[in-house]
Amino acid sequence: MTKEQEKMAVETLSLTKTYKGKAAVSHLNMKVREGSIYGFIGRNGAGKSTTLKMLCGLAKPTEGEIRLFGKPADDPYVARRIGSLIETAGLYPGMTARENMVLKARCMGLPDEKDVDRILDTTGLGNAGRKKVRHFSMGMKQRLGIGLALLGNPDLLILDEPINGLDPEGTREVRQLLLTLFQEGKTLIISSHILGELSKIATHYGIIRAGNLVEQIDRERLENNCRDYFQIEVNDSKRALPLISEQMPSIQAEVMDNRLIRLYDLKDGAGLNQLLIVNGIQVHSSGFHHMDLEEYFLNRMDNLTSQESAASKGGEEHV
Amino acid sequence: MFNQLRMDLYRMKKSKSVYVCFLCMLGVIFLSYVMAYLLATPNGQQTALKLGMLTLSELDMGKTYLEGIDLLGMFREANMDGGMYSLIFGIAVTLLVSGDYQGGFIKNILPLHRERWTYVGSKLIASGILNFLYLTAGFAFNALVNLLFHNLVPLSDWKGTLFYLGWVWVVTMGFAALIIMLCVLSRNVTIGVLGAVLGGSGIIVTLLSGITQQFHLSGWEEYTLYFNLTYGPSAYTSAGDLRGVAVGLVFLAVYTAAAMITVMKRDV
Repeated sequence: MTKEQEKMAVETLSLTKTYKGKAAVSHLNMKVREGSIYGFIGRNGAGKSTTLKMLCGLAKPTEGEIRLFGKPADDPYVARRIGSLIETAGLYPGMTARENMVLKARCMGLPDEKDVDRILDTTGLGNAGRKKVRHFSMGMKQRLGIGLALLGNPDLLILDEPINGLDPEGTREVRQLLLTLFQEGKTLIISSHILGELSKIATHYGIIRAGNLVEQIDRERLENNCRDYFQIEVNDSKRALPLISEQMPSIQAEVMDNRLIRLYDLKDGAGLNQLLIVNGIQVHSSGFHHMDLEEYFLNRMDNLTSQESAASKGGEEHV
Repeated sequence: MFNQLRMDLYRMKKSKSVYVCFLCMLGVIFLSYVMAYLLATPNGQQTALKLGMLTLSELDMGKTYLEGIDLLGMFREANMDGGMYSLIFGIAVTLLVSGDYQGGFIKNILPLHRERWTYVGSKLIASGILNFLYLTAGFAFNALVNLLFHNLVPLSDWKGTLFYLGWVWVVTMGFAALIIMLCVLSRNVTIGVLGAVLGGSGIIVTLLSGITQQFHLSGWEEYTLYFNLTYGPSAYTSAGDLRGVAVGLVFLAVYTAAAMITVMKRDV
């Protein structure tokens, strides 16, 4: 990896935010490389929005440090390099899309308003520029929010749920827009619950759970972790598993519950079915699967929950 | 801060509420002249008699109604002394500040301006410009309506008028700072409007004065914004006439500092 690739757009050091003594974000060490699309994943209340708000300067960290492009977050020049859309788009409903854009352009001190019309066209709102925002659909408001974030040509875009409320066509348009921005060399941090959509664009992922960053992973490693598997549902996994291990020693097997077994690196699914049936094990269903981001995320969460409950049980026994 | 001010001025220009508040103020001035015409002029009294607004025994009382009142006096009677101006201006300031929080536009402003005190500074300067425009345009309209009613009241001394408008601007800026503080603290339009109604109309001062007088505590009212706005001088005669300016500046500083601290400390 070259030095150029090592450059960080965002780096947090033990970032913590507490509300009334309860940690919403706890000792978060996040690293976002320049020129990447960082998918920020977590359940509701996991601390995603709080983290993004701290990165934007909307919330002050209780502890820890944020470095943006290698500089402290309160550096006024760094603030200019960030565009953000946090939760819903902040708009004046009584004004038109164009007026909302002009307001922000003036707030930024942009010398002219050329960019306003260009961005309205880019976000597909060129024709709606003179329509009052109160008459906009949710999707149009969201697109205008992204447009506002794009003003001033920022190097880092922080987008919290940017495709919320968009119809399939709008989602595709926003995806294309985000990919174009990525190709232009911008860094994007995107939090979304629509993991399928996120997996189409993200190059890196961060998984947050109860305020803790449990994993940061790049697309290659994720794809490796999400390898294909053959899943069989049998009447008795306790009998099936030793048989598979004996007959197919190179196959890695994972028992999901009493009836479900996952087999990795298996090519001959029909042969396995035949083997089990010949040995008197009933096969209810079988087939090849590919683990997607959603499944990976849920697995990761489930594993953590079971690890925690095991640890707490162990702790209780120890006590 | 000046970029934020550019934004605020653009918003004021585009905002209907700024014009609606101004029209309300003009409406009050016009109605006051209509009432004065009906009560204090022979032609007006005849109309008022026909409408049943006056009885024959009240005719003589009406003739003294405008005694000693000049153009500035009329402006004060119509708009300032009862707290109507504070109320209208307070509502305009509330909408200027609370609008940022209600629609969430504040999320577009604060990430750009990490020195958050500048947000309050910008709102204060924008309010100051609005205050200046309201006062001067309101007074000009007052003079125009007087002309329309064939100089119902005599013109006032221009030096006194300038002195009055000057100190009133300072006192009402103290009031604007109070409203800005309430808005950034509550992030709620209702609280801002309630502050404008209760503070501007003097309800709070009158109520507290009534209570404290029971305990023989009086005199403090003279150091309130409402009291100075209502009973302040119409011309400069001595240094004591500058009390309103001093009171206004103190409140301006205190409320501005409180608003700035609130914006700096609180998350969005």
